[in-house]
Amino acid sequence: MFDLGTSPAPLVEAQALGRNFPQRQGLLGRARDIWAVRDVTLAIARGETVGVVGESGCGKSTLGRMMMGLDAPTTGAVRFDGRDLDTVRGPDRRRLARRMQMVFQDPFGSLDPRRSVGAQVGDGLRIHGIVPPADIGAEVARLLDQVGLPASAASRRPHEFSGGQRQRVAVARALSTRPDFIVADEPVSALDVSIQAQVVNLLMDLRRDLDLAMLFISHDLHVVRHLCTRIVVMYLGRIVEEGPAAQVFGTPAHPYTRALLTATPSLQPRRREAGFDVLPGELPSPANPPSGCPFRTRCPLAEAACAEAVPEFRQTGPGWQAACIKARPESVA
Amino acid sequence: MSRAARKLILPGILVGLLVAVVLLAPVLPLADVRMMDVPGRFSGPSAEHWLGQDEFGRDVLARLIWGGRASLFIAVGSALAAAVLGTTLGLLGGYFRGVVELVTVRASEVILCLPPLLLALLVVTLLGAGTGPLILALTLLYTPNYARVVYAATLQVRSLDFVTAQRAMGAHPLAILTRTILPNVLPPLLVQMSLVVASAMVIESGLSFLGLGVVPPTPSWGLMIRAARGAMEVAPMLLVWPSLALAGTILSFNLLCDRLQSVLDPRQITAGGALWLHRPARKAAAAPQPAAPDAPLLRIRDLAIAVEGPRHGLDLVRRADVTVLPGQTVALVGESGSGKTLTSLALMGLLPDRLAVTGGEALYTTREGTTVDLAQLDDEGFRRLRSTEISMVFQDAAAALNPVLRIGDQLAETLRVAGTPEAGIPARVVDLLRQVGIPDPERRCRAYPHELSGGQRQRAMIALAVANSPRLLLADEPTTALDPTIQAQILQLFLQLKRDTPGMGLVFVTHDLAVVAEIADRVVVMYAGEVVEQGPVAEVFARPRHPYTAALIASVPEGGAERLVAIPGSVPPPHAMPPGCRFAPRCDFARPLCEAAAPVASAPAEGRSTRCIRWKEVT
Repeated sequence: MFDLGTSPAPLVEAQALGRNFPQRQGLLGRARDIWAVRDVTLAIARGETVGVVGESGCGKSTLGRMMMGLDAPTTGAVRFDGRDLDTVRGPDRRRLARRMQMVFQDPFGSLDPRRSVGAQVGDGLRIHGIVPPADIGAEVARLLDQVGLPASAASRRPHEFSGGQRQRVAVARALSTRPDFIVADEPVSALDVSIQAQVVNLLMDLRRDLDLAMLFISHDLHVVRHLCTRIVVMYLGRIVEEGPAAQVFGTPAHPYTRALLTATPSLQPRRREAGFDVLPGELPSPANPPSGCPFRTRCPLAEAACAEAVPEFRQTGPGWQAACIKARPESVA
Repeated sequence: MSRAARKLILPGILVGLLVAVVLLAPVLPLADVRMMDVPGRFSGPSAEHWLGQDEFGRDVLARLIWGGRASLFIAVGSALAAAVLGTTLGLLGGYFRGVVELVTVRASEVILCLPPLLLALLVVTLLGAGTGPLILALTLLYTPNYARVVYAATLQVRSLDFVTAQRAMGAHPLAILTRTILPNVLPPLLVQMSLVVASAMVIESGLSFLGLGVVPPTPSWGLMIRAARGAMEVAPMLLVWPSLALAGTILSFNLLCDRLQSVLDPRQITAGGALWLHRPARKAAAAPQPAAPDAPLLRIRDLAIAVEGPRHGLDLVRRADVTVLPGQTVALVGESGSGKTLTSLALMGLLPDRLAVTGGEALYTTREGTTVDLAQLDDEGFRRLRSTEISMVFQDAAAALNPVLRIGDQLAETLRVAGTPEAGIPARVVDLLRQVGIPDPERRCRAYPHELSGGQRQRAMIALAVANSPRLLLADEPTTALDPTIQAQILQLFLQLKRDTPGMGLVFVTHDLAVVAEIADRVVVMYAGEVVEQGPVAEVFARPRHPYTAALIASVPEGGAERLVAIPGSVPPPHAMPPGCRFAPRCDFARPLCEAAAPVASAPAEGRSTRCIRWKEVT
């Protein structure tokens, strides 16, 4: 379906992934389909960081949870190292969990407030028997050191740390099982700019040193562009554009990607006199999506043909495709 | 001993004493509880019988202590048994949901449908009266309460990220339940426990009173109350002693569980006093002075905000200098803890209760051309200025709008307060909504806040703020919670508002430097409660003159830098501010001199200022 070019065999693959959250109206009403994610096909190889961008409600977090196997897909399947996650259960599934880890958005919610940092970082080591029980303390200290925290941090509770430090603890916990694949769901969104830079640098170092496959979910285009090798742009549960970071953000082929880029404020403001080039309207309700192209209701290029069918992906370059009948690389002024 | 543990001393001693007395009953030199002394019946307290004698002449004190043994054993025993059973059911049902929920929580709820006394009667009738059946009956009775409480708490906790993290880690579900969820549902469990112990004692007394619980002549508090009731006219004190014991015990247990709950919470919650204890700020409001013709809209000089009370000297903001000219947009930018929000709240007189302006001045020029010092203003003075002169847009529109009032009614209310003629209000409401870009305003003004999307709510919030055409608009992170395309719409709206009302000054509080670059004329950079640099946006961003500003700009992942500049460490907390320059410990340019004294402001260029002694070397 898409060209992987020269990239190695993927570690994680999503095949036509979909997730429906049916919502019942009233006691006897018919359940309405609400598709959070539809028809997402995606592959991530080792050493690759794939950035997923889109606005809230576009299904990027649901996609991340399904790629982690935390949420069961309604349609399609996730294959990790060749195994369908849905068919692996019980102890086997828990063993597989060692190889995939997650970093959450809110560093205040992702750590148990009642247990020490060391105990939480050591959980994975104990569960999967990664080091002998006697060495757990030393390994925890090594992990904390790897994310730039002193070994003394192990005995403290999460509330004694700042947001950035907690997020490092969360990263250390994710690294404890020596995973091959990490899903990072908005890991820097809740952090201050200067702290955000600490965590972004840390993630870049880890990717380089550990050859991780990473799915990086964010709504901050600047961070994604800085960190990711490949970009996936989502709108209303579907991928609208996918390709190498430089191309997708340099000369976006899909009008939505262009709109996102223009809407993102920049230190070097563009065309300030004319005001912002503002995309009108808001995300349509996933309970009642537009026919055909999901973006057509807000698209400056929309025409009658857009309402007829969901546009097929059009190849715009090697490993680069956009779901738009008018897909054409175009730089953002 | 920590402050938390000290809170446990009083209830600990009370409950400990109670338990000790009851446990030690067999070895204490007490009179025989069955020893009757008919001639001495109903006699009052004496040296031999400290609390007097009952209707058979038995010693009341001895019966009280032995009775407590029965009552406490039954109440605590059944409360604990029900806690274990109910918690297990609740945890399993709440975590696994589905069928498990049906056979655990829902099944136990059947018990709630039966009248409690009837259920107790049933068990006691089947198994005979006595301590054992009574405990069983009470356990059955209270299990669903625990199950429901734990079930609800589990539902809440299980969706939190740290539980998901444990699942992602590959932890066994039972390990997650005991190690992660159980400790986090403990607080509501403890509250439930204290309630159940109390309620079990009451039911035990009631059943014993009915003759279905503890069998005479074994004493229990319930039996004693029952017996004393018959002799109430003759010896009212007989009723008082067991009732006092019952009430005292229940109160002690409640106290213990309450304190235990707060001690078990690792986050120390600072207790806020009751609202009526906060003394209103009593300040001598200076009479408004006529302003100079070229006076700026707002001039803040040397403003300081500190915590009031015993920990005085904890200054959260100090030496803040900001000037806003009519029609100008000034951005207050900084990280969390920089004091940017407090500064803007102080201008509205909306500082949190324990904070107050402790120095400096904030001279505001009103529409009539008089000068008011906002730093000296009392509540009444602020009330006159709010909405018509100074107005505010809050970050979280969902929280700032009243959820039970329609948008149109909230707008009308605001207009009415400012004295808009009643006849013109409906039309003005629709106009305002149209002005902020809400589609179909005639219909949307009848919507409740929850019926609007996030972007529309923020628009409605802005409509509220500009309803009475304020001359100074404060916006506290108005676009932070919004998506990029919606954020662009709202920024566009601000630009448009400024075009429509040329004289309005805008103070825009944000942590996002890119937003500052897009919207502001001047930028004021704050760090740890101090203004470190200010000047025209383009100049400051092109050539920052303070190391913090420079580092902040370099940490934005924009442009081609391979590595971002991360400022090491984090913002110091207010109680541990470094001496001298507050940024020195994180600064690459720091010299010993920086820690000696707080740097004074220098002016690198016209209209700019920086608080750094080495500003010439920064860029």
